Amino acid sequence: MKQFKHLNVRSVEEASEALGSGNAAMIAGGTDLLGVLKDNILETYPEAVVNLKSIPGLDRIREENGNLRIGSLARLADIAESELVSKKYTALAQAAKAVATPNIRNMATIGGNLAQFNRCWYFRKSENRFDCIRKGGRECFAETGDNRYHSIFGGLRIGASACKTECPAATDIPDYLEQMRGGDPGKAAQTIMKANPMPMITSRICAHPCQLGCNRCQSDESVNISAIERAVGDFIMEHRDEYYRPPAKGTAKKAAIVGAGPAGLSAAYFLRRAGLGVTVFDKKEEAGGMLMYAIPPYRLPRDIVRGFVSALRKMGVEFQVNKEIGKDILPEKLECEYDCVLYATGAWKRPIVGITGEELTVFGLDFLMDVKNWMKGKIGSEVLVAGGGNVAMDVAVTARRLGAGKVTLVCLESREEMPASPEEIERAEDEGIAIMPGWGLSRVLEAGGEIKGMELKRCVSVRDEEGKFNPQYDESQTMEMKAENILMAVGQAVDLSYFGENIGLQLTRRGLIDVSDDTKMTSKEGVFASGDVTTGPDKAIGAVVGGRKAAEGILRHLKISDPKAAEAPGESCLIRFDPEGVRKTEALKLGALDGDKRSLDLEDSISPKMDEAKREAARCRNCGCYCAFPSDIATSLSALGADIVTNRRTLSIDSLYGSSLSGSTVLEPGEIITEVAIPAPEDGSHSAFLKMAWRKSIDFPVVNCAVSTGSKARVCIGAVAPKPYRAINAEALITGKEISEKNAEEAGLIAVEGAIPFEAARYKAQLAKVLVKRALLAAGKQIAIELAIETEAK
Amino acid sequence: MPETIELNINGIAKQLDAAPNRTLHDALQYQMGLTGAKHMCDRGACGSCTVIMDGRPVLSCSILVCECEGKAIETIEGIAADPKWKPLVDAYCKWDAMQCGYCTPGFLTTAKALIDRSPNPSEQDCREALAGNICMCGTYPRHATAILEAARNMNSEGGGLNG
Ligand SMILES: Cc1cc2nc3c(=O)[nH]c(=O)nc-3n(C[C@H](O)[C@H](O)[C@H](O)COP(=O)(O)OP(=O)(O)OC[C@H]3O[C@@H](n4cnc5c(N)ncnc54)[C@H](O)[C@@H]3O)c2cc1C
Ligand code: SF4
Ligand code: SF4
Ligand code: FES
Ligand code: FES
Repeated sequence: MKQFKHLNVRSVEEASEALGSGNAAMIAGGTDLLGVLKDNILETYPEAVVNLKSIPGLDRIREENGNLRIGSLARLADIAESELVSKKYTALAQAAKAVATPNIRNMATIGGNLAQFNRCWYFRKSENRFDCIRKGGRECFAETGDNRYHSIFGGLRIGASACKTECPAATDIPDYLEQMRGGDPGKAAQTIMKANPMPMITSRICAHPCQLGCNRCQSDESVNISAIERAVGDFIMEHRDEYYRPPAKGTAKKAAIVGAGPAGLSAAYFLRRAGLGVTVFDKKEEAGGMLMYAIPPYRLPRDIVRGFVSALRKMGVEFQVNKEIGKDILPEKLECEYDCVLYATGAWKRPIVGITGEELTVFGLDFLMDVKNWMKGKIGSEVLVAGGGNVAMDVAVTARRLGAGKVTLVCLESREEMPASPEEIERAEDEGIAIMPGWGLSRVLEAGGEIKGMELKRCVSVRDEEGKFNPQYDESQTMEMKAENILMAVGQAVDLSYFGENIGLQLTRRGLIDVSDDTKMTSKEGVFASGDVTTGPDKAIGAVVGGRKAAEGILRHLKISDPKAAEAPGESCLIRFDPEGVRKTEALKLGALDGDKRSLDLEDSISPKMDEAKREAARCRNCGCYCAFPSDIATSLSALGADIVTNRRTLSIDSLYGSSLSGSTVLEPGEIITEVAIPAPEDGSHSAFLKMAWRKSIDFPVVNCAVSTGSKARVCIGAVAPKPYRAINAEALITGKEISEKNAEEAGLIAVEGAIPFEAARYKAQLAKVLVKRALLAAGKQIAIELAIETEAK
Repeated sequence: MPETIELNINGIAKQLDAAPNRTLHDALQYQMGLTGAKHMCDRGACGSCTVIMDGRPVLSCSILVCECEGKAIETIEGIAADPKWKPLVDAYCKWDAMQCGYCTPGFLTTAKALIDRSPNPSEQDCREALAGNICMCGTYPRHATAILEAARNMNSEGGGLNG
């Protein structure tokens, strides 16, 4: 054991204070804590250990107003031997006697037993070897490893899952995948739309970093999250009137949004949802920004963008297109007329690279916006595209589909460093585009103002040691590429000229609008900005998130609360996966048009059908902690309907366990269990506890079960989930009934109906079934015995 | 920072420096030279380190010595030296309730606490009380026999009071 400070405290208040101030652990009997410290399994070793045993009076077992109250420091041996407990609260006495060994029970306390750490062997591996979800890591090792003693009724989400962490919008991915498995795309839609109002769009164009984060990548293939998102997105489009409803109650406040790209549209949705009057201005003919003008329709059909915009319109968002701010309306005027203004004008300007002959080249974004004009064979037979990102891929593929014979793409980065997403690189290569990584532009080759090609030079590194863009070249290594057209897709710049001479907003060193990270407010009160204009060219989902945050910032600024946002997510319920579905190793592949059918304006890929999406959702492991909480006492207390009293609140035993890091309970730092309160069982109600362990003494339960009969019957199974599991349907079956061989058997059967065991833990469901039956019969028998005694007495 | 505490070990008051992270077992073994309580699993799982604290058999590997201030602690050394408990030691020898002997102090200490509590234990009582003591040599069946005989002998010797 490493060193720590040891504090003997005299009161619960003193203990709580000592625990609250820094990294400290409390010790009761110490039978669990000392093992934990010796094995050094916690993320942070406590600096201090606070001894609760020095608090007087916390170990009493007494009856008060007919109810049983047990101080948290009462020892298990004393509870097991207490006549009061054995007689009326049989299941608890039996459980107490079933814990560990007699000598441990002489030390172990009821509070410590309830708050013990779980016994998952990955979690318990000494020196903290497995950085699992329970410890703030990204993966549950038991899910794919040795899980024969683990949960059979689902897990607990601890913190954010790996996929959600990688999603820039922090979408509750596993939640909506679970809803999809449950056959409820409507719920899934609502879950996604809390974070992202346009999944039908993002599912098609996002580079989906969530999938790179997916824990399945370690074993086979990521869950095809974007395909599922797409099915949900299409579902939303089909039912758009339902998902983009005008707000039930409006406010008098008005917001102006400049720019109808992903950032502006996202903000418009969230602001309108909260009841604001929203007007979106855009200088183009149609709303959508980059979504409408830059991303080629073979990736994102225009009608999908139009459909989304029209849904927003129906929600009550006003669109003023063909309105150029700075020309048709001055920014000052907007800022005067509206309660808030959001600038989401993107990054559309051509950056100057500074090579000779640059003026003869074409800006890639202009090319994409103007594709129609290039239809007439202007593209030529040899085209050079410069750039390594998704825009460059779009430009190259578009050029190819316009009929260019040979399209070559050069970029500074090495192949691994290319910023384009792997799918887009693959698409480009499929279409015969030659990619030349590691080359920089040197000068345009021309003759009489006509492009002949480009001289390239070797790029040896793109970024300096600090990670800043600072390309280095080997000037001695050059080559000439023939080309009739050169399309430049090496980035876009931000254009703030619409503000006129005096921008009046603070800018960053890169010339972007400076905003606060979480509210997106600029240096000017009530003026906000988000999207590329604040970040430089970024992914669409980045802009969607920026728009959402700006909306949240605006609402906060205007002191308006969004009732929809306040809907709290379901907490500390057990999460489930599909034991059959997760075994499928290959991910769903989207259907695609054959190569010869691909064109400029037909979507290349085909949306999955709803049932395909549902099957793919079944591959999700639903990452969480799948441990089995091993306490015998907790199971018995759940069957007795006990309350746990802490120095701060009273919780039902069923809500004591939840998604906390490392610990098993939902107790907060400094929160101490002081007492366990058990209501007196009603007349004629009996309880019993049974446990299956490999060795009767010493071993933890493989499965345990506690039941109580009567009008508030309970059937609780332990060591089968990260918290005691209540078999609600079995409870319903026996409520108010006398226990018979028949209904006990049936209760056992239905109690395990909802089990989703790992393959290696299937046997636990069988054990649980039998234990439920036997525990019920044992409780039933007490009735019989009691009746016999009574008759004798008469 | 070690703090000086006072313990009562086998009836004798002892002072010792108790570093906060030191277990009672380590203190007995390394600071007091009492090597009877054995070091085995060090995790509360085997019973080899059993001592009696305020009348209850407990596991010295899973107790911080700094929390034992003022407690009365009995170890196997104290039991072995007390003539009152000679019948128990004798019965263990007679019935050969040991093989390598490593677990024996733990068993014996637990047994002593049992007889303290119930001078006439049943075989079932013995089994239950010793349920947490592990013997790798498999001497289990002999313990109850030895304890039952010891209890009988102690009772017939007038409660063993004059041993
Ligand atoms: C060999 C072995 C076998 C075991 N077998 C079983 C078994 O079969 N069934 C079973 O149920 N358990 C079993 N256990 C676990 C044992 O029951 C627990 O270790 C014991 O009950 C914990 O109580 P304690 O007072 O010693 O807790 P401690 O070790 O002192 O504390 C345990 C945890 O609870 C926290 N804690 C303690 N008191 C409170 C409080 N009042 N409020 C909030 N938090 C608190 C501590 O900070 C610590 O994190 C076994 C343990 C061992 C070592
Ligand atoms: S079951 Fe829980 S404790 Fe065990 S590896 Fe998984 S997350 Fe960690
Ligand atoms: S398996 Fe599911 S929950 Fe886990 S990271 Fe992948 S998508 Fe997310
Ligand atoms: S060494 Fe203490 S119980 Fe095993
Ligand atoms: S006699 Fe060898 S371990 Fe018990």
